[in-house]
Amino acid sequence: MTYRPKKIVEAFEYNKKWDEWAKQGDWSTIGWRWVEGPRGHRLDQLSSANYLVIQRPHASVYHHSYGMISKFFKGLLEKKLYGTKCPKCGLTFCPPRAHCWTPGCGLQETEWVELPLRGEVHTFSIMAFSATPFLKTLPFIIAYVRVEGCCTTVPTRLTNINPWEVYPGLKVNIHFVDNTKGDIMDLYCTPSETPDPSKCMMTAEGIERLKNDVRKVRDWVVGKFGEEAKPSVNI
Amino acid sequence: MSNRVAVVGTGISRFDNPRFELHEELCAEAVREMLADNPNIDYPKDIDAVMYSYFSDHLAGQLCFHWIIHDYLGLLPKPAYRVESGGATPVDALINAFMYIKSGIFKNVLVVGFEKMSELNTPKVNEMIAAASDTDWDFPVGGYYTGYYAVLETRHMHLYGETQEDLAKIAVKNHNNATFNPYSQWRSQHGTTFITVEDVFKSRLISWPYRAYNCAMISDGASCMLLSSEETAKKFTDSPVWVTGVGLGTDTMRPGDRVDNPMYKGLYPEDEALYPDVSTKTASPYPEMANFGSMRTSGDMAYNMAGIDDPVKQLDFAELFNPYDGVELAVYEDLRFCKLGDGKKLVREGVTEWGGQLPCQISGAHTAAGHPVGATSIAQAAQIYWQLTEQTANKWKTNARALSGAQRALLQGHGGTGCQSGVMIFERG
Repeated sequence: MTYRPKKIVEAFEYNKKWDEWAKQGDWSTIGWRWVEGPRGHRLDQLSSANYLVIQRPHASVYHHSYGMISKFFKGLLEKKLYGTKCPKCGLTFCPPRAHCWTPGCGLQETEWVELPLRGEVHTFSIMAFSATPFLKTLPFIIAYVRVEGCCTTVPTRLTNINPWEVYPGLKVNIHFVDNTKGDIMDLYCTPSETPDPSKCMMTAEGIERLKNDVRKVRDWVVGKFGEEAKPSVNI
Repeated sequence: MSNRVAVVGTGISRFDNPRFELHEELCAEAVREMLADNPNIDYPKDIDAVMYSYFSDHLAGQLCFHWIIHDYLGLLPKPAYRVESGGATPVDALINAFMYIKSGIFKNVLVVGFEKMSELNTPKVNEMIAAASDTDWDFPVGGYYTGYYAVLETRHMHLYGETQEDLAKIAVKNHNNATFNPYSQWRSQHGTTFITVEDVFKSRLISWPYRAYNCAMISDGASCMLLSSEETAKKFTDSPVWVTGVGLGTDTMRPGDRVDNPMYKGLYPEDEALYPDVSTKTASPYPEMANFGSMRTSGDMAYNMAGIDDPVKQLDFAELFNPYDGVELAVYEDLRFCKLGDGKKLVREGVTEWGGQLPCQISGAHTAAGHPVGATSIAQAAQIYWQLTEQTANKWKTNARALSGAQRALLQGHGGTGCQSGVMIFERG
């Protein structure tokens, strides 16, 4: 254990197999290939060469403290949404900051406030590809949501809406997932109003193209991950 | 004594995925090209110090990689250190070299940039790059860089009305430029056939509104550049290219923190006045989440140093940092090539195409020439150097993208979602 607290008040202990799995990713060579490939610094000056390519895994388990904004993430576990407010300039931050960044506030320490579970989509994207941990949840919508009264926006997942119906300004409700685990994925949003079709950002042709794209991504994810696939956008 | 700074030599080892040669071998190839092109450089005697530019320790599983490169290049015991600022790494390395020489401590500073991104599969590479976003906030929701830039572009589209067709046109311009570039990954993988807007729409959706052809490539490659003080530059060349302006700027790590940013509030009143009424006005309407304040700040600093007040007239061409096509469009506005919101007009009027008033990305840049992060902007600077010294036709073995008589060019680079930006102005002697 690399992280030594004075006292463990409460814990959700991780499966210790992760330590074993991380140990297995210890940089040892696990395989090799002798390959033929091009050699040369310009495309018009290429020759052929052989290369030995090895495979070498690496993995780690980080013991990461959320520091002075731990209350926000503990709040997620308890299904409460907190932000911080600067007593000097009055700005409310969510994501929270323990110190205010406003010029003139001199990194004033902020105070905790509970926030309403309402907000507005500031901007969004429909994700059809992602980093490794999220592939099986494709396709999904990421929305940066301004929680009511805050000066910053929070990245969240947006569900219960067709992707072409989303637009900046859409009002949303903020929810907690059933099994919270203390990270930002404990939150998600759904529309709190019927989307206004006049605010749609896409042409009819663009919507058709998107429907087709989303179908392809969903089929790929279902084909690759089977029962583990959890697409959050369905057409 | 004048302390102007000159570029006196440069080289590239082509961008591709994969390059099987070792990182240090790619760097050696880039340096060998520079030495072959400029026999006046007495190597390694003439090198006083080295700046190494590479982004991610994770991509290769190797920390302090520059120590491997430095002895491989036979440059011991000369001073050297590594610069790292995400995508801004190579432009920062060039600017650091400029400042080293300006300080008078070193006369000739070599900048070497490299990256190999092919050792991990594509989702894993995206994960490693996403580790350069806030891993407590943006990454855990399934974000990664294409997604972050996509939400920024969605906001820009919402406010200023460009379309996916406009983004596709930028992709077409850059890919078609890259078909002539003998160092480009697109040409290596797809040949020399031009693409069309329809081809862009046929490429797979990555993060709406971005499709594959709108996005930076994952690449291996290397590049180098030698910068010199005015007094030593003449030993190396009769036709130096001068660095006449540099600029730096910063913005928030998390793009979502930009809506009411008190540090940008009121900084650019002329842009704040242009905020359209399609949305509730935020407290810092420029740059908001639509534009890139760091690029404005860095551009203004460089323009001020170089005496530029009308960039479209005073610049002959530009190489911009374009990991995603909406960035290029927004940067036109941030670097004052046009008014805020008019980036789409530059695209539609062909101003930045080959043959336009201000061609941008003649190299093809990130989405088509390739984007081995630490090498990218240095390779773009190399292409600028070859254009300003009229060597492009010879280097590319075609005059299809070779400018004649160009005097002045701009290089812009940035890291993160515009968290940090650098701009350089180059002028022929």
